[in-house]
Amino acid sequence: MVDDDPSVLAMVTEILQFEGYNIQTATNGAEALAKVDQALPALVLLDMRMPVLSGWDFARSLKERDIHLPILVMTAAHDAYKWAQEIGASGFVAKPFHLPDLLDAVEAILTGEGGTTQND
Amino acid sequence: MTLDQLSQYITWGLYLIIFAVVVVRAVRDPMRANFDIALLFGLPGMLILISLLTQVGIVSAGHVTSAISGSLLLGMGYMLVRLVHDFTNIPAWILRVSELVLAALVVGAFTLDSSTGLLILAEVIYLLVLLLFVSLAFIVASRRAGGVTGRRMAAIAVGNISLFVLFLIISLSVIIPDLGKDLQAITELIGLASAVAYFLGFATPAVVKRAWQEPELRLFLQRAATLPRLPETKSIIAEIQYGAAESVGAPNASVGLWDEASNQLIYQDPQGQKLEIPVDPESATGSAFVSQTPVYIREIKPSHHSYERATSVNIATILAAPITAGQKRLGILAVYADRPSIFADEDLELVKLLANQAAVVLENRILIDEGVRMRVQEQSTRLKEDFLSAAAHDLRTPLTILVGQVELMERRALRSPDAPLDIVSVQRLKKESYRLKTLVLELLDAERVEQGKLMSVRSEVDLVEVAQEACERHTGEHHLCSVQAEGAVIGMYDPVRMQQLVENLVQNAVKYSPDGGTIEIKLWSEHKENANGPRNEGGQSWNHLTVTDHGIGIPTEDLLSVFERFHRGTNVDDRKFVGMGLGLYICKTIVEQHGGVISVESKRRNNTSNGRSESTGNGSSDTESTGVETIFHVILPGIPVPALSGESVTASRQA
Repeated sequence: MVDDDPSVLAMVTEILQFEGYNIQTATNGAEALAKVDQALPALVLLDMRMPVLSGWDFARSLKERDIHLPILVMTAAHDAYKWAQEIGASGFVAKPFHLPDLLDAVEAILTGEGGTTQND
Repeated sequence: MTLDQLSQYITWGLYLIIFAVVVVRAVRDPMRANFDIALLFGLPGMLILISLLTQVGIVSAGHVTSAISGSLLLGMGYMLVRLVHDFTNIPAWILRVSELVLAALVVGAFTLDSSTGLLILAEVIYLLVLLLFVSLAFIVASRRAGGVTGRRMAAIAVGNISLFVLFLIISLSVIIPDLGKDLQAITELIGLASAVAYFLGFATPAVVKRAWQEPELRLFLQRAATLPRLPETKSIIAEIQYGAAESVGAPNASVGLWDEASNQLIYQDPQGQKLEIPVDPESATGSAFVSQTPVYIREIKPSHHSYERATSVNIATILAAPITAGQKRLGILAVYADRPSIFADEDLELVKLLANQAAVVLENRILIDEGVRMRVQEQSTRLKEDFLSAAAHDLRTPLTILVGQVELMERRALRSPDAPLDIVSVQRLKKESYRLKTLVLELLDAERVEQGKLMSVRSEVDLVEVAQEACERHTGEHHLCSVQAEGAVIGMYDPVRMQQLVENLVQNAVKYSPDGGTIEIKLWSEHKENANGPRNEGGQSWNHLTVTDHGIGIPTEDLLSVFERFHRGTNVDDRKFVGMGLGLYICKTIVEQHGGVISVESKRRNNTSNGRSESTGNGSSDTESTGVETIFHVILPGIPVPALSGESVTASRQA
C-alpha cells in the first residue's frame, strides 16, 4: 500500500489486516520500489499524487525493471479511471471509497478476475 | 493670336470663373467674408470688361476710361486689406487710412490729368504697399492654419505676390518706357500666375481640395493607428484633441464622450479633470451630436451648456462633428478658433473626417478593452477550475479516512460485539474531522476574504504562544519545528486569525519540505521612536515573525505572486503537492487587515556558514546548512509605546 497520507495508509492497513491480508506500507514511490525489490507483493495499492516519486514514476520504474505487478490505483482525484489507464493498472478505487468496494476490488484482482473497476 | 494674347485671355477667363464661383458662394452663404471676396473679384471682372469693350471699340480709350480702370485696380488692393481684416486682427486705423487714401486717389484719377506722373506714382505706391501688406498677412495666416485652409491661404499669398511683382514692373516701365515692351511677355505670365493662384485659393477645385487635405489626414491617421494601444482612454482623448487642433491649425480642440445613461458629454479639461456637460441641442456641440451632422458656429452664445463655457477657453467660433462608429454614437469632436475662418467649410470638412477617424480609434479601444476583460474572465475561470480540482482532492482525503474508518469500526463491532472501543480509530476519526473542518473553513474564509468580512473582534495575543502551539502540532517523524523568542511578543489581534496565519505558514513549510528537516520560527519586537515627530508622541512598536524552512524553495519568478489567490508555484508538481493555492492568500489578507506586511525570500545557502546574523541557538542548524532556505517574514503592529516626556524617554533608553 503506497500513499503519502499517513492516516489513509494506517486506515487501509487496518482494514486489510482485519480482513486477513499481509500488508507492507510505503509513503512514496521510492520507498515502494525499495520494498518491491525486497519481496514481490501480489498486489500494489497505489496513490498517484505523492512527493519524491509519484504513482506514474513508480509504474514506469517497475516497467523499466521488467517487473509486472497488478496495481490498484487508489486516488482522490475524480479522474482516477483515466490515471489507472495511463499506467496500465488492473483497476481503480476512487477516494472516498466504501469499504466493501475496496475489498471487492482487491479480491477481484487477486482471484484473477482482474480489470474490475470501482467507483463511488 | 500671339502667345501673349492667349496668356491674357486665359488670365481673364480665370478671373471671370473665380468671380462666378465666389458670387455663387456669397449668395449661398451670405457671410461678410464671402461678400468681400465677391466684391474683390467683381473689380477685375469689370476691368476685363472695360478692356474687352475698348478692344472691340465700343468704349474709347480716354481719360475717363483709364480713370475708371485705375480706380478698379486701387479698389482691388483695398478689398484685399478688407479681406485680411475679416479673418485676422489688424488695427482698424490701417483700414481707415487705406479707405481715405483710396478715396483721395480715385478723386485724383477723375479730376487730375491722367498723365500726371505724381498721381501715377502715388497710385502705384499705394497698391504696392497694400499688396505687400496683404501678402505678408496671408503668409502668416497660412502658416497658422492647417489643412486645406492653410494651403488656400498660401495660394492667395502667391496671387498677391504675383500682383505685387506685376505692379512693380508696371511702375518701373512708367519710369523706363522701353522696359515695358521688353517685359511684355513676363508681365503677361505673371498676370496668369496671379490668376491661377487666386483660382486655386478662392475657387479651389474638388480634386485639389482632396489632395490638400491628405497630408494632415495622413499625419492624423498615422498617429491614430497607435492610439488604441495607449494604456488609458484619457491619454487617447488627449492625443486626439492635440491631433485635431494641429490638423486644423486651431488653438484648441475637445472630445466629449457620450454617457448614454445620463445623456451627458464627458470631457476632460486641460488639467485632466472630468467635466460632465448635459447635451444641449442649442449649443454647437449639442446640436452636432443630436443632429449627427457637422456644425459650424461663428459666434458662441454665452447661455449654452458647453465645454468651452465650462473651461472658459478663449474662443469665438466652434467647428463640431459627431464621433459615430456605424450606428453607435460615441461622442463629439469640437475644434475652437479665436477668429472665424474665411474657409470655415473646409475646416468643417476636415473636422468631420477627423471625427470619423476618432470614432475608429475609440471603437478599437473599446474592442481592446473588451478583449482584455474576456481574457481576465477566462483566466479567472481557469483558476477556479484548478481550484475546484485541488479542493476536491483536499476534501476527499479526510473524507476517505472518515468513511473507511467508520465502516471498519462498524464491521469490527458487528463481528465481535464485546470488543472494547478501539481508541486509535477514534483518535484518527477525530484528527480527520479536524482536518476536514480546517479545509472547509479555509474555503469559507476565502469566500469571506472575497467579500471583505474576514476579521472579528481583537484582543491581546501573544504570538509566541500561538507559534509554540503550531510547532507542537507539526513536529513529527520528518519535521522538527522550533520557536525562538526572548519573551512574549504581544499585539492586539484577532486571535483566531493569528492562529490561522501561523498554522498556514508552518503547514506551508512542512508541505514544501517533503524530505523533512527543521522549521524555525523566530519572533521579536522592535520599538521605533518617532524619528520625525516630537519626542513625547511616543513611538511605534512592530512585531516580527519569521518562518524558515529548507524545502524545495520558491523560484525567483514566483516570489511576487505567491500571495495571490489560487497561485501555485511553477516548481510545484501538482501531482506531488496537493493544495488550493489559498493558504498564503489568506495569510496576506490577515496580515494586511491587521495593518502589517508579509514578504518572502528564498535563497540558496552556503554550506560553510548559515549566513544570517540573527541565527541561531538551534543545534540542528549545522545539518541544515545546505540547500534552499525559504523565509516568510511577517511584520505586525505591536502595542504602541505609551507617550512619555522627553526626559523619561532618555532615562528609559539609558536603562
